[in-house]
Amino acid sequence: MTNASSANMENVIEEKNQDMAISARNINVVYSTPTGQIPAVRNVDIDLPKGSITGIIGESGSGKSTLIMAIMNAVTKPGKIESGSVILDGKEDMLKLSTEQQRKIRGKKIGFVFQAAQNSLNPLRRVGQQILDLGRSHDVKDLRALIKYAKELLMRLGLDADRVLASYQHELSGGMRQRVGIMFALVLNADIVFLDESTTALDMLSQASVLEIIRELQKEKKLTIALVSHDIGVIADLSERIEIFYAGEIVEEGKTDDVLANPQHPYTRGLIRAIPKISGDIDSAEPLKGASPDYKTYQQPGCLFYDRCPIRTDECLKKRPDLTHIGKSHKVACFRVGVHD
Amino acid sequence: MKDFLIRLVWRIFSGILMVLAVASLTFFLVRMMPGDPVNAQYNQLIMQGMTPVQAENQVKVMYGFIPKEPVGQQFVNYILNLLHFDFGQSISYEGVSVSHIIVSAAPWTLVLVFTGLIASFLIGVLAGVIAAIKRSSPFGTSLTVSGSLLHGIPQFVMGLLLAYLFTTLWPLLPFGAPYDSSIDPGFNWPFISSLFSHAVLPVFTYALSSYGGWLLTMKSSVITVLGDDFILASEIRGLKASTRVGYIAHNAILPLFTLFTLSIGFMFGGSVFIENIFDYPGLGNLLLKSIDTRDYPLMSGAFLLITIAVILSNIITDFLYSIVDPRIRR
Repeated sequence: MTNASSANMENVIEEKNQDMAISARNINVVYSTPTGQIPAVRNVDIDLPKGSITGIIGESGSGKSTLIMAIMNAVTKPGKIESGSVILDGKEDMLKLSTEQQRKIRGKKIGFVFQAAQNSLNPLRRVGQQILDLGRSHDVKDLRALIKYAKELLMRLGLDADRVLASYQHELSGGMRQRVGIMFALVLNADIVFLDESTTALDMLSQASVLEIIRELQKEKKLTIALVSHDIGVIADLSERIEIFYAGEIVEEGKTDDVLANPQHPYTRGLIRAIPKISGDIDSAEPLKGASPDYKTYQQPGCLFYDRCPIRTDECLKKRPDLTHIGKSHKVACFRVGVHD
Repeated sequence: MKDFLIRLVWRIFSGILMVLAVASLTFFLVRMMPGDPVNAQYNQLIMQGMTPVQAENQVKVMYGFIPKEPVGQQFVNYILNLLHFDFGQSISYEGVSVSHIIVSAAPWTLVLVFTGLIASFLIGVLAGVIAAIKRSSPFGTSLTVSGSLLHGIPQFVMGLLLAYLFTTLWPLLPFGAPYDSSIDPGFNWPFISSLFSHAVLPVFTYALSSYGGWLLTMKSSVITVLGDDFILASEIRGLKASTRVGYIAHNAILPLFTLFTLSIGFMFGGSVFIENIFDYPGLGNLLLKSIDTRDYPLMSGAFLLITIAVILSNIITDFLYSIVDPRIRR
């Protein structure tokens, strides 16, 4: 125990030294539903170091999108941010700024590519007009330069820029819209970009090419990226750090290589085991047992993964494990670290 | 542009076909009516002492065809007259052409219903947006309730109620007649102000009893749009509130736009109850009177006018819609 806490101290110091683009603490988001209050995000701390790519992975409904929306302070009803702080660049707290200050940060400092980027455009306005709307909203003086930059981005994304700017949403294909969504996130030179399942709707080839472009742009502009996905392959490929999300909590985090090479939480191990391999027996991919968490899961006092856990003990039913250091930056929320199933 | 012209010509052509179809239907309906009004008229004229030739001519003037002619010939004559905008002559207003009667009644209705329509549309749309945005607050709820409540009150109840309140209980406004009959009609101030004060109650009745429909439609339309992904996207991209309201309004008003232009077409049917209560000599009253007096030429003229207006507004709606909604354009 003493070992762990001293490791904790060391890391606190180390984390402070590294510049954080976003440093969120103790985020709690609750959804009010007819069946009661559902904690979609519970006591989450997350740091996005400047210029890095962080992958956030979890199954559908695990609260990863909600977390991103909470960081933007844009949780929609019936959701509500109960507590927490989101410090930008070590300065202001996104959750305490005025509505107008928040608006100016959204889009300009933080770009966002949507899960439903396919429908993120106003169907009644041309793409070009909407870029101008965006520019005017953020007091861009030189609108001509803005359009020029938008064209440059679109071309890099492999689109016919002039055609796209003159098009309405319904005149573009799904993949084209997704790329237009990426352009919108980058055109104001945001240095933090959230990609929320942004490539999920694309076929494998388009997905690969879009991800490649994102990687290039990230290197070039030193972007801080948070990549939300349920595709562990995409995250393994791109991100330096990884956050494993389960039922609204982070259950494991660390450097991507560490976590994937040496997964400690039974859920992480289950996820990795569930990936089918290109070569070998297709049946060696093992699906995760049990059902996704529902509202009953949140009511139990113990570990949220208890029902599906292969290495559970009675202790797990009484108390919920906290996220604790097991390595330099590798943290796990499990009482049974080191025990293998 | 060429496509546009082809479409325009095609729509106008099919519109004319539709009008002719409805006109033919009216022709046969009038002839099939119990008692055969045309023949009855003919017999009546003979009883009044006309010779068969005179009576035949008189009927021809009234209906546009001669009862003794073969049906085909009658029909051709009737349609030919229509193409000259000759709807025949009225029976109850003897010797006056139907088109003249309709043209002199139309302005009363148009001013009354059009003003009421515009007023109710503007109030309804505005209140609908507010009711949608504030839908979880008591204010939004009470707006919605007021809409459904007023929407449910029939026009004649609303009209009588307003007339009672503002002419009997608090005699603030004049009742009945489109203007004070002691004033000479003309372009002078007393006449115009009299017109205005006489129009307030009927216009209000119309607006109050129809804004609820606009309110409810607009509210549901705005709520649908608010749930669209691109509205959330515009918020996350930090667009100004005014720009976002513009996005919402433009998208939400589209369904109402169709309804609005169609109601402009139906406007030509007049507003029977309101015109009757407030004694307005408009198209609604005219229609009522023509039915009352079995004035078939006038009746079919009035119906034909409604038909033409609705078909025309339909065509205009179609073309305007392709301007306001780029998805319709080809």
